[in-house]
Amino acid sequence: MGHNVWKIGGFALIAYVLVMVFAVPMGPGLLELRATGKATATEESGRALPEYLLTGFGTHWSDQSSQLQVVVRSKTNLAKLEVIEVIDDTHARIGVALPYSLPSKSWDVLINHPTDGTLLLENGLFLSDRFIDESLTLPPISIVELQDDLPFHFPYQPRILESIRNLMLHVPMWFTMFVLMGIAFVASIKQLATARALIEDEKSEAAVKVGLLFGFLGLVTGSVWARFTWGAWWVDDPQLNGALVTVLVYSGYMVLRNSIDNAPLRARLSAAYNLFAFIILIILLMVLPRFTESLHPGKGGNPGFNSYDLDSALRAAFYPAVIGWILIGIWMYRINLRFTRLQKLLK
Amino acid sequence: MNALLSILIQSHPLEGWFFGSGKALVVLAVALILLVGFGLWMWRAEARLKSLETKLNHKNQSES
Repeated sequence: MGHNVWKIGGFALIAYVLVMVFAVPMGPGLLELRATGKATATEESGRALPEYLLTGFGTHWSDQSSQLQVVVRSKTNLAKLEVIEVIDDTHARIGVALPYSLPSKSWDVLINHPTDGTLLLENGLFLSDRFIDESLTLPPISIVELQDDLPFHFPYQPRILESIRNLMLHVPMWFTMFVLMGIAFVASIKQLATARALIEDEKSEAAVKVGLLFGFLGLVTGSVWARFTWGAWWVDDPQLNGALVTVLVYSGYMVLRNSIDNAPLRARLSAAYNLFAFIILIILLMVLPRFTESLHPGKGGNPGFNSYDLDSALRAAFYPAVIGWILIGIWMYRINLRFTRLQKLLK
Repeated sequence: MNALLSILIQSHPLEGWFFGSGKALVVLAVALILLVGFGLWMWRAEARLKSLETKLNHKNQSES
């Protein structure tokens, strides 16, 4: 039983991850601040102000609505906006009482609320009808950053929204593929180095077969995610194309194997091919996308899911997902290897 | 929970409906059943392989 603990552990981790993926709610965020085209007179300013509709995601503005504060920020300049009315938990009418002369056209929108904490919408307000003088400074105001008062939740990410849950399914597929292709790479080196029995060749074949399965799953989960966040099932992106080419290169490995009848020759040729395939994997998935423009997180200068935005709630699900899928992948590889050996013995 | 449901439905109808109406929990239950089924299938496959390996070893030993 002792030697099976890691197998049960792998499945237990994925069960835990699935519970996290489907049961943990999303945290609050800001979706947009949109001009309504109306002007509303407020008691605070005593004049008609251009009215905007502020839309939140998972926010709780109806609770303690009088505590809702809206501020815009550009570099060091801060200016308070007027909350005309909180319509419901996620909508509020905002009056923009800013002077005609401003230091910038583009402003970040910040809200403070006792339940939701401080939320930011980058470049949420764009004022094209103002006189811009970058040397201007607005009168200073003070704002205190608040922490949210909410139960355990996943962080709000602009555009990604609920699909952040796919992080626990998509990224571990590639991690598992890397590990399995790494096993195949080592086995191929040993095969070429020893060139005696075909044990290492069998290991390499089994690891590539299972690794390819995880590669296909990575492509599918990535494509679904791209459709949601980028609006297309596939985009011409170095990371995506690199992933597809890598999977095709490893598919070529399987084609090569099946095209050679002589077992020792097949072992040598496929081992040599596999060394290049692994190097191509490293180059296409880990090196090239970092030096080119890419939509993909973590590539082309985009922030990845690192310390910047992978908060403790996501880590609590993401790391177990990576470990769990790798353990399941290794178990699948071992079963595949034993099955292949048994087949050969029976022949 | 109802407040969360109304918020989600207003901001993103599909996701709001999915998570707020409890459908996510149904999907979770199905996913867990599939995962357990897959795990048991792998366990069974490994046990059968072990049994076949043992039989084959015995056969080879008796023949030699």
